[in-house]
Amino acid sequence: MPYAGTEMSEKPTQGLRHVAFQTEPEKTQRVEYRVIEAIRRGEPVDPSVHASLKDCDGVIEIDSFNLWYGQAQAIYDINMKIPRGEVTALIGPSGCGKSTLLRSINRMNDLIGGVRVDGRMRLNGSPIYAPDVDVIGLRKRLGMVFQKPNPFPMSIYENVVYPLRIDGENRRRVLEEACERSLRSAAIWDEVKDRLKQSALGLSGGQQQRLCIARAIVADPEVLLLDEPCSALDPIATLRIEELITQIAEKYTVLIVTHNMQQAARVSKNTAFMYLGRLVEYGPTADIFQTPALPETEQYVTGRFG
Amino acid sequence: MSRMVGDRVVPAANGARPPGKPLEMRSTPLSARGEPMIWLTGGALVVCLVMIIGLVGMIVTHGMTTFWPRPVEQVTLQDGSVFLGIRTAEDDEPARTLYRTGNRDIGREPFRWVSHADIASIETPPGAVMVEREAWSVWFGVPERAVEVIDGEQRVVAEGYEAVMAYYHAEHASARQRRAEVERLMRQDLGRVNREMERQRLRVRSVELDMQRTDRIGSPMPLPAFVGAAAAVLGLLGVGVAVGRRANGHSVSGRWVRVVRLFCFLGAFIGILGCLLHAPWRGATMTEAELASLRDRTAQREVELQAEYDRILATIREKEAFDARQRLIIVEPTEGRFAPARQIEPDNPIQLSQVVRIVDTNAMGTGQKVGVFLSRWWEFLSTRPREANTEGGVFPVIVGTVMLTLLLTITVTPLGVIAALYLREYAPQGIITSTIRIAVNNLAGVPSIVYGVFGLGFFCYTVGAFVDAGPAPEVRLPPVWWWAGLGTTVAAMIMAYACGVWSRPVPGTEPSKAQIVLRRSGWALWTMTLVLAVTLVVRTPYFTGFFEARAADGSPTFGSRGMLWAALTLALLTLPVVIVSTEEAIASVPNSMREGSYGCGASKWQTLRRIVIPGALPGILTGAILAMARGAGEVAPLMLVGAVKLNQDLPVSGEAPYLHLDRSFMHLGFHIYDLGFQSPDSQAARPLVWTTTLLLLAIVLALNLVAIIIRARLRARLTGSTV
Repeated sequence: MPYAGTEMSEKPTQGLRHVAFQTEPEKTQRVEYRVIEAIRRGEPVDPSVHASLKDCDGVIEIDSFNLWYGQAQAIYDINMKIPRGEVTALIGPSGCGKSTLLRSINRMNDLIGGVRVDGRMRLNGSPIYAPDVDVIGLRKRLGMVFQKPNPFPMSIYENVVYPLRIDGENRRRVLEEACERSLRSAAIWDEVKDRLKQSALGLSGGQQQRLCIARAIVADPEVLLLDEPCSALDPIATLRIEELITQIAEKYTVLIVTHNMQQAARVSKNTAFMYLGRLVEYGPTADIFQTPALPETEQYVTGRFG
Repeated sequence: MSRMVGDRVVPAANGARPPGKPLEMRSTPLSARGEPMIWLTGGALVVCLVMIIGLVGMIVTHGMTTFWPRPVEQVTLQDGSVFLGIRTAEDDEPARTLYRTGNRDIGREPFRWVSHADIASIETPPGAVMVEREAWSVWFGVPERAVEVIDGEQRVVAEGYEAVMAYYHAEHASARQRRAEVERLMRQDLGRVNREMERQRLRVRSVELDMQRTDRIGSPMPLPAFVGAAAAVLGLLGVGVAVGRRANGHSVSGRWVRVVRLFCFLGAFIGILGCLLHAPWRGATMTEAELASLRDRTAQREVELQAEYDRILATIREKEAFDARQRLIIVEPTEGRFAPARQIEPDNPIQLSQVVRIVDTNAMGTGQKVGVFLSRWWEFLSTRPREANTEGGVFPVIVGTVMLTLLLTITVTPLGVIAALYLREYAPQGIITSTIRIAVNNLAGVPSIVYGVFGLGFFCYTVGAFVDAGPAPEVRLPPVWWWAGLGTTVAAMIMAYACGVWSRPVPGTEPSKAQIVLRRSGWALWTMTLVLAVTLVVRTPYFTGFFEARAADGSPTFGSRGMLWAALTLALLTLPVVIVSTEEAIASVPNSMREGSYGCGASKWQTLRRIVIPGALPGILTGAILAMARGAGEVAPLMLVGAVKLNQDLPVSGEAPYLHLDRSFMHLGFHIYDLGFQSPDSQAARPLVWTTTLLLLAIVLALNLVAIIIRARLRARLTGSTV
């Protein structure tokens, strides 16, 4: 059991059942929430997945995926494909399991005791949850950025090359090259190039988060997982991160969890809307935001509840 | 806070609110005001501070003033008798003064309470001096003559106070140097010859013991057989690993290589250990003829050594004879007797080389007094104790204390840190872990003398005796049983490991019933392995100790009190402190750091090594500091496991093996107790209690300061405040 007794950054079990749409009665009465009501009753629902994403080239394929924290089920029967080379956003109200789903992809949930999973996930065709998967190797193929910027208490340079160092890479030239390349990709090189040897903790929040992105991409991952990367940042820093996401999306597949609908609309190509651990609707962002298949989705993305 | 109450006056209502009743300060109940609690809490702090400052201040004032030279007073009593002395204490009721009067070797009381009513007059005659001597404590008197005795004839070289002091200043340094040389010859050169003789004797003795042993002869395990056994063990391990891997099914790439390597190392380790213990290359022991020739050679060497011994002794005698020429006649006023060289030779005046220092305070300016003060401090810090510790220095005591503290710190820190890492990071957090944690915390509350008793019984008498002479003959297993036991142990270990691997559930699933059973069997097997391994070690037929010959003569080496066991006992005593603070430090490393590291694809150990341990280092150092401070100040267990009143042999020396962990040692804490309560001359020792306490405080402070500075630097680096 990993670090029990210390605080986890997120406690997905709490309030899972109790989070409901905080809706104004006079507004909601007009719309019939067929899917949402079914989910609330605990019935299985058929997610509305748009045709273009049903048979795309999925870098990550999720197939009947369920997850339990102890006795409480947090994710119900998720089926979706994350298309290669595009930015996909996961949206939904708090506690809907979007972070949990993201963390299941690089098996960060293994670190929490009592987590049980069922179903399949594949990264480029190879199963993620097969018994003989090397979790360490898997995580090296997936870069991850967390909600709160978490640079290590070392120099900027050491932070960026950390994934290479743990692989035993000690050639100075290789490390320096990788460091510069990755910091340039993360659009922070100009700001930190003169102080690479100084502590990363001296950077501002936005810079720290870009540093974390640089750290996540230094080992050239197949997918970049972003878990609400802007939620702890101010609007200007958020803007820069969003620009950065658009930039790195040219090279990497990005899966981003966000609370912010505008952000999803701005940066992502596809959007998945989740509710209480189930996928509700999944389609190209433009469709989700302009012509969603379900009234619930429309209500949510226009901010009428959630 | 109190101001808040006073400020809470309703502001002039700008028409918004009708003017209310004016607030009355007096009506506020006392409990609602801030002041009483400020006074109470502040007062408590003041009381604490006053007591602490009082304690430290008392130690510092007494400790610092002890070595300041005080005037030598000539006191004439009402009955006409006269004596010289220095004031050391005063009493108000009845009004009296304690004088240090010295001159113990001619039957005087060295300390004397004098009632003020009895005193006729007090003078400070410029000729009166205090002589600090090598033996028999101080002498008060007036220097009259300096003589040189050649062939029984006394020749006066200086007459009168001024001339004698001039002679003293001119000749004293070289006389003391000769004296130190004699000391060095006696201690080092004679000691070396003595130890060499002892070594020769022990060599013969150990061969004799070896030949008497019947169980060894005729039962050597030949090297090929041993290699075969080691290979078989390795093969068995390989099979175990292969089976375990197949059944386990989710091994990590590269782990195969690592596991095989680990087991090969383990097998090789067992093999090498066996070879070392059994020493097959040593072959049969000596024949009678070889022993006889060894005895001859030893006897020859002994003659040589004896000659060297006599030569050194002759040099010493010669130097001493030279020393015996220079003598000082320092007369006390009461009966006109001079300071004797020895108590049994009252007619021979004291030798110049026996004088440590003549302090003519009455004729000194402040500068000279400071000089004496500093020279006394230097003597205190750099020389060995004399006169049952009441005089001289505490150099061996300082060395012993510092060595012990360092040794205990470097023993306890790695052990405690590793244990805490397991407890916090690897152990499943359940009722067993909680119980262990509570038990560890409670260990910190066990009275330290209990650790002393345990240390004496376990470390000194059990482990030490084992190191000295190996297991007792009656507990030694027959070789066949021993090897069978080794096989069982290895098998149990492999099975325990396999159980551990098999019982691990696939991540994301619950462990099955069978896996739970397997895990419990794994625990049982590990316990069995541990018990068997310990049994194999303590009952081995192949180990007869490192110091067998000495132990056979009844003089234990490690089998009695000593530095090593004292350090281990204190390490045990301070272990809870280190474990608790390390655990807290590890827990305080933010989880976001760990997650970030795992997210980068780091393994658990990589995360621990690169993120968690560096992040916890300031806290770990705090634990080490606390352990150090507690260990350095501990006395009770040391009295049982190694601290002694006097040991001139330091635990470090220039002689192999340089670090003598088997020696008993002197320790400042124990020294304070010894000076205060065990001294034959408690009046003389009392000032030294203060200086020694001051020194102990200073040493603990210095050790802590070093650690605190290191910690502050680390902390600054971690928080990025110094960039």
